[in-house]
Amino acid sequence: MLDMLSLLDITFFLLAALGALVGIIFGAIPGMTATMAVAVCLPLTYALGLHHGLALLLGLYVGGISGGMVPAVLLNIPGTPSSITTTFDGYPMAQRGEGERALRVCVVASVVGGLISAAVLFLFAPLLAEFSIKFSYVEKFLIILLALTVIASMSRNMLVGIFSGVLGIWLSLIGTYSISDGGNGKTRLMFDFLEPYLFEGFSLLPVLIGIFGIATILLEAEAGVKSGLSDKEIKIGKGGGFSMGLFRGRLTNLVRSSFIGTFVGMLPGVGGSAASVLAYTQEKNLSRDSSEMGKGAPQGLIASESANNALTGGALIPLLSLGIPGDSTTAVLIGAFTLQGIQVGPLFIPENHDTWYVMMTALVFANIVMFFLMFYAIKHIAKVVLVPKYILYPLIVMMCVVGAYAINYGIMFDVWTLLIFGVLGYLIQKVGLEVAPLIIGFILGGQAEIYFVKSLESFGTFSIFFTKSPIAMVLWGLIAASVAFSVVMGLKSRAKRRLEAA
Amino acid sequence: MESGLTSLLSVSIDFETSHLFFPRIIHWLMGGLFALVLALNVVPFLAAVRRGERTLPILGESMDKFRFFGTLALIAAYFYLMDVVGNLFPYTGYGFLFVSVVFVFLMSLMYMHTRTKRKVVTAAINAIVAPSLAWFILAKLFQITLP
Repeated sequence: MLDMLSLLDITFFLLAALGALVGIIFGAIPGMTATMAVAVCLPLTYALGLHHGLALLLGLYVGGISGGMVPAVLLNIPGTPSSITTTFDGYPMAQRGEGERALRVCVVASVVGGLISAAVLFLFAPLLAEFSIKFSYVEKFLIILLALTVIASMSRNMLVGIFSGVLGIWLSLIGTYSISDGGNGKTRLMFDFLEPYLFEGFSLLPVLIGIFGIATILLEAEAGVKSGLSDKEIKIGKGGGFSMGLFRGRLTNLVRSSFIGTFVGMLPGVGGSAASVLAYTQEKNLSRDSSEMGKGAPQGLIASESANNALTGGALIPLLSLGIPGDSTTAVLIGAFTLQGIQVGPLFIPENHDTWYVMMTALVFANIVMFFLMFYAIKHIAKVVLVPKYILYPLIVMMCVVGAYAINYGIMFDVWTLLIFGVLGYLIQKVGLEVAPLIIGFILGGQAEIYFVKSLESFGTFSIFFTKSPIAMVLWGLIAASVAFSVVMGLKSRAKRRLEAA
Repeated sequence: MESGLTSLLSVSIDFETSHLFFPRIIHWLMGGLFALVLALNVVPFLAAVRRGERTLPILGESMDKFRFFGTLALIAAYFYLMDVVGNLFPYTGYGFLFVSVVFVFLMSLMYMHTRTKRKVVTAAINAIVAPSLAWFILAKLFQITLP
């Protein structure tokens, strides 16, 4: 414990605070997400040590998710996908001149959601890790299969989701079947002339930065890069009007939404919007009086914002205990960990106790900093929604380049990877494929291959995947359940549409 | 019957070609899924396009051609020239610095909808200050490799 305290210095806390601030700014700018904040700021962590890097990244993560509330309330535009439900009640309140009050409700709900999920993470991740430590290659493969199925079944269309996931796996297989993982070191899925560039396949981070950074810029450019907004459109309103009394009788809502957010965050690859939409509808169904929801009721803000901040802790659970990212931001975090020489997975927490406590400290501290920054400086932060995009976007491209180039100590091909995957990410979103399963497939594809092939090499039969252990059978049960869930939901929504059409 | 099923499921992987084993399965999966997507999603969608209910993505949508292709061209030129200029001054990061200044300024100009003098000056200052700052912090303070 004392060892761990010596790792926390002033720089550590400053970096976490800086991360939270930059994250809030990114989150507050419509079109920019927490994922992008983490991706763009990655190069800064190359020079930092592991613990300082973690402080910065977790600050960015928490800040980025929280910042989304600002444009949601003031402009009716969700700054991040997860603040979509914040617009329902936040914007009507801002229209009435209660912008600041609405934002402060959001801030309090956010910090509660963030802290509850951090507590769940702290208690639950080590347990899950301890449990999964006994997993052999067979179970590990099935866990990945389960993760991909869950993501696909949460997609708008399960078939398309699965296809996107398989496409991601395919992309990850380009390169060698690595000798260090027990492969034979031969290349596949490419032409010979590409071997100097693609011997080790596409690097993870340039791919992610390309898909989340460059592709977003391309989508914006296609839409013509709408000019910035003017001061007049922002109605933050007068201060005051906020008191903790707004939360009286809302405690159940607050806690329920936080747990919903944490749980949804745990499901791999499920984006933030699912969490806040679920929490919002639950509040609508269960609350005694939901007649004001959608017209500017603080209870809607509480549900939405506590759920979306609770995602942070939730999404870190599968990342740290199983090595499977819970959302796209944690997918970028996995890259950052690898960069620092850390392998996340069942062994991470037992073998890196200090790092684990340091992470928890950073996460809790980032939440607190976020709270104070936003609660007291919200008026000034709200102005960043006015930063013109013609200033911002070129800088984002520039930071993407730095991130991609420096990652392997100066390889120009990694910069071109940015463009390749930027264009690919743009096309994927245009033709209706799903980004989340593709990314998770890309990240987990390499491991899936090793686990799959090694299992077959040692047991010599496909049936081993079903009969290896009770855990394997349970995992198959879960896979079947998530497919069934998706099919039922699909049929339900189809029936509803037919009903509406009739 | 029992043994028949067992032999059907049993498999042996030749180490020499083991790098192709998993990709082959993925190829079959991808092919199968693609056929399904084609039959269940793409064909109905195209039929809706023909009836005029939906529009094709990218081709059928209105887009800001100038800014979209301009962005692509600028980014490609940026990446290419960064390397070229960087090779003139190896290990200094000047390639990144000089080309970034030009790139940031041009992209700002392209994204502006109305060009007032004040906006152009802001963009110019931004284009000089931001890359210099990034270059100084990353290349000088943190010693990170830049082109």
